Amino acid sequence: MKDENLSSKYKWCTLVLVITMTVLLIRLWDLQIMRGSEMRKLSEQNRIRVKKIVAPRGIIYDRTGKVLADTRPSFNIYLTPEDIRDFSQTVDGLARLLACDREEIIEKMKAAGGMPPSFPIKIKSDIPMDEVARVEAHRVYIPGVSIQIEPKRNYPYGASFAHVIGYVSEISDEELKDKKKHKDYSPGDYIGKYGLERSYENDLRGVDGEKRVEVDAIGREVRTLDVVDPIPGHSLHLNLDLDLQLSADKALETRKGAAVALNPKTGGVLVLASRPGFDPNLFASGISKRDWQGIALDKAHPLQNRAIQGGYPPGSTFKILTATHALQLGVINERTTFTCGGGFAYGNRVFKCWKKGGHGTISVHRAIVESCDVFFYNVGLKLGVDRIHEFGNIVGLGRVTGIDLPNEQKGLLPSTEWKKKRYNQPWYEGETVSVAIGQGAVWLTPVQLAQLSSFVANDGKNFKPQIVNRIVSTEGKVVKTFEPVVNADVKFKPEIIKIVKDGMRGVVNEPGGTAGASRVQNVLMCGKTGTAQAGSEKVRLGDHAWFIAYAPAEDASIAMAILVEHGLHGSSAAAPIAKGITETLFKVKTVIKEAKADENR
Amino acid sequence: MRIDKRRYYHLDWYLIINGLMIFGIGLLNLVSATSSFSSGSYNFMIKQLIAFAMGLVLIGVVMYYDYRIIANQSRWIYLGGILLVVLVLIIGLAAGGAKRWISLFGFSVQPSEFMKPILVILLANMLHEKKRQNVPLSLKDIGKPLLWTLIPFVLIVKQPDLGTGIVIILVCFAVLWYVGLKRSTYAVLFGVGAISPFVAWNYLMKPYQKMRVLSFINIDADPAGFGYHAKQAIIAVGSGRFLGKGFMNGTQHKLQFIPEHHTDFIFTVFSEEWGFIGSVVLFALFISFINRCLKIAMNAHDELGSIIAFGIAAIIWVQFTINVMMAIHLAPVVGIPLPFVSYGGSSLLSMMISVGLLLNISTRRYMF
Repeated sequence: MKDENLSSKYKWCTLVLVITMTVLLIRLWDLQIMRGSEMRKLSEQNRIRVKKIVAPRGIIYDRTGKVLADTRPSFNIYLTPEDIRDFSQTVDGLARLLACDREEIIEKMKAAGGMPPSFPIKIKSDIPMDEVARVEAHRVYIPGVSIQIEPKRNYPYGASFAHVIGYVSEISDEELKDKKKHKDYSPGDYIGKYGLERSYENDLRGVDGEKRVEVDAIGREVRTLDVVDPIPGHSLHLNLDLDLQLSADKALETRKGAAVALNPKTGGVLVLASRPGFDPNLFASGISKRDWQGIALDKAHPLQNRAIQGGYPPGSTFKILTATHALQLGVINERTTFTCGGGFAYGNRVFKCWKKGGHGTISVHRAIVESCDVFFYNVGLKLGVDRIHEFGNIVGLGRVTGIDLPNEQKGLLPSTEWKKKRYNQPWYEGETVSVAIGQGAVWLTPVQLAQLSSFVANDGKNFKPQIVNRIVSTEGKVVKTFEPVVNADVKFKPEIIKIVKDGMRGVVNEPGGTAGASRVQNVLMCGKTGTAQAGSEKVRLGDHAWFIAYAPAEDASIAMAILVEHGLHGSSAAAPIAKGITETLFKVKTVIKEAKADENR
Repeated sequence: MRIDKRRYYHLDWYLIINGLMIFGIGLLNLVSATSSFSSGSYNFMIKQLIAFAMGLVLIGVVMYYDYRIIANQSRWIYLGGILLVVLVLIIGLAAGGAKRWISLFGFSVQPSEFMKPILVILLANMLHEKKRQNVPLSLKDIGKPLLWTLIPFVLIVKQPDLGTGIVIILVCFAVLWYVGLKRSTYAVLFGVGAISPFVAWNYLMKPYQKMRVLSFINIDADPAGFGYHAKQAIIAVGSGRFLGKGFMNGTQHKLQFIPEHHTDFIFTVFSEEWGFIGSVVLFALFISFINRCLKIAMNAHDELGSIIAFGIAAIIWVQFTINVMMAIHLAPVVGIPLPFVSYGGSSLLSMMISVGLLLNISTRRYMF
C-alpha cells in the first residue's frame, strides 16, 4: 500500500520530526551549555544556606567564681526572604502565630534590606516553647520561616548588676553603619551596649562559626554539608563581690543612689551599684517597644549609672580632702582652732554652720567628727581654691578615674582658671568658702569619692578602679591580668594622715560623731558623712545623703562611697548602707584573706 | 486457541526494543525521581512495573484480535470510554483541585488517558473509506469526526484536564490532515484556528490558566507564584549542564523544588541528572520510535491500519513535544505526561495498548 500521497505525507512528518528535534536541542543547548553555569549556580543557591553558629559569649564571674552573666539556649525565629512564596501568607501567618504586628516583621525585613535575599533575618528572639511548637506545626504554610537554637545572654541577678555588667542587645542600624568598628557584625547580631558588656565586647564576643546546610523547597534543613565551629568568648573574672553587691543593692533598691566599694590596696572594685536600675534580661531577649519606652522615658533615669555618671555636690565628705591638704601643707596643724558660733561672716554674707548653736572653739579632730562647717570655711580660705583643685586632681576628683566602664563623667572641681575660661570672670573668695565644705561649683561622682576614701585609708595612695581582675579563655588560660595601676601616691608624714584617719574613726566610733549610729561590732569602720544641698537656691530639693568610709581602721581592706539622692541626712540614709556592706564583708573570714593575697601579688 | 506463527515472525522487534529502552530509562529515572518521597522509590517502581505487566497482558489481548475487528467495534469501545469519563465527573477522585480518577477494582484509573487511542480507532474507522477513495475531506465530511472529538474534549476539560484535552484535539486534526483535506477545508480550519485563541482567552479559560500563560510569556512576573514551576524547571534542566549531575544526584527534584517531578515534570529530573548528553539520547530514542510508528503507518496493509498507526504516532509526538517544551519553558505549564517515562499506570497502559495496536497492524501487514 504505497502511493504518491502517502510518501508526501511521510516527508512532511519527517520534516516535522527534524524541526522538533532541532528546536528542542537548540533550547537545551542554550539552557545546559550556554547558561549551564548560571543555572548550576542558581540551583546551588536554591539548596545551600550558610547558617551562622553564634559563638557563646564569655561568662562573667565575681571574685569568688560565682556566675554573674552566662548564656543559655534560646529559640529564635528567622525569615529567609528568598524562600517566601506568598509574601502576605508567610508574613501574616507568622504574625498570627507569634501574636505580633505584621508591621514589626516588615520593619525587621526592611532593616536588613541591604543583605542578600538568602540571608535569614531574625524576627523574634527567645520565644517560649508553646510558640516554638505552634510555628513548627505550621511550617509548611509559612515557607521561609525557620527556628534556630542560639545562645542567649542570661543575667541571673537582673537589675542588681545592671549598671556594672550592662547588657547586650541587637546591633542597631547606626552601629552597623560604622563599618570600621563593626565590620564583623551583621544585622541581628548581639553586641555589648552598656557596662562591662560594652567595655569588654571584643573579649566576650568570641568568633562566630558557620554551617553550610542543604535545605529543601520549604527551607527545612536536609543535611549539613560542613561546619566551622565557633570560638567561645573569653570569660571575665571580676573583682566584684556578689554578696557585697547584693547587700548594697538591696539597701538602695527602693531609693535613688549609688554605692561604690574599692579594695584600697589594689583599686579592685568590690561593689558598684546604682539605682534605679532595669532588668538587663529584657534587652538580651529583644526588648519590646513598650518595655524600651518604659525604661527610656522613666523620669528616674534608670539607664544612668549614678556611680560613675552622676555629678553631685559632695557636701561634708569633701572636708576630708580640705583637711588632709591643709594639714599636709601646714596651713593648719593638730592644735589649730577656730571658733564656731553657728555662722561665719564673709563679705556681705553669713555662711551658716549646720549646728545652729555652733561648735564653740574647735580643732581639726572634732571638726571632722562633728562636721563643723565654720572650721572648714576658715581652712578653705587659708588654702585657696586652686590648691584644693590641684590636690583634688591628684587624688582623682574632678577627672575621670579611669574605671573600666564606658562613659564615665569627670565631674567638676573648680579653680580660678576654670572660672575664667568658663565664665570669663574672676574667682571670688566667697566661693572658696562654699567649696571648702563641698558645696558651690563642686560636682563629684560616687566613684571619685570612693577614690578619696581609698586614698585616706591607704595613707595617701590609691589605684585606678578596676572591675575586671582577669580575662580567661575557655581552655582556662589566662589571657590578661589587670595589675593594679597607681593613681595617686602622695608621701605624707605618718602623723599627718593619722590626724585625718583618727577624725574619720571618731565620726563613727566617738560620742557626738555624726555617724555614731552606724558603728560596726568588732570592726573599726571609719567614715565621714555628707549632707549636700540639692537643687538651686530657689527650688530646694531634699538634701543628698553621702557617706564615705573604709574599714578596718588599720590596714583597710575596703573603702566606700555611698550616695542616696535626696536621702536628707548622710548619717541616717547613707551610713547604714556602708555599715551593711562592712558587716557582710567581715562576717566571712576567707574574703579578708583573699583581699590581702591580692596585695602580695 | 491457535495463534498464527507468522505473527511472531513478523513482530516489529525494532519498535519493541526501542519502546523497552525508553521504558527502561524511564523506570531508572523514576527510582531517582521518587527517592526523596517518604514511601521510598521502590514503591513507585513496583507500581509502575505492575502496570507494565498488566500492559503486557493488554498488548496480548489487543494483538489477538485483528485490528479490523477492533475497529468494527470502535463505537462501543468509544461509548464505554465516554461512560468512564462521565463517571469521573460524577464519582471521580479529586487530587490537586481536579477530578481525574475513578476507583476501579482497587486501582485509580484515569479514563481520559484511554480516550486517546480509543478516539484514534473511532476516527480511523470513520474515515478510512474516504482515504481509500483518496477523496479530500470537505467541511461536511469533517463535521462528524469533530463532533465525536469535541464530546470527550469538553468532558475532559471540565475535570479539568486541559492537557489531555489539547492532545485529543491536536491528534484529531493530525488524523484529518493525514486523511487529506480540501483546500477550502484548510482555509476554514485555519480561520477558526486563528480566532479560537481569542475566544478561548475571553470566554473559556479559567483565571489560573490565564496566569499560566502570562507567566509563560514573562517568567519573572511572578517567580514565587505561577512562574515558580517553570523557573525551577529550567534551573533543574540548565544545572545539568553537559554531563549532568549524575544518577540520584539531582538536587532540584530531590529537595522538592519542582512539584510533580515524577509525573508531568519527569524530564527535568532526567535532564538534571544526565545533562545534555542524556537528553540527546532520550530525544533520539523518541524520534526514532515515532519514526518507526510512521513507518508502520506507511506499510500498513490497509488505510484503516495506516490511519490508526499514524494517529498513535501523533499522540506520542504531541505528548513528547509538549511535555519537553513545558519543562524547558517553551510552552506554558500544562499537565501532559511523557510517554513511557512519567509515573502513572493509566498513561503507561494507554501507551502499551497503543503499542499493541501498532504491533497488531505491523504483524498483519502481509495478510489479506
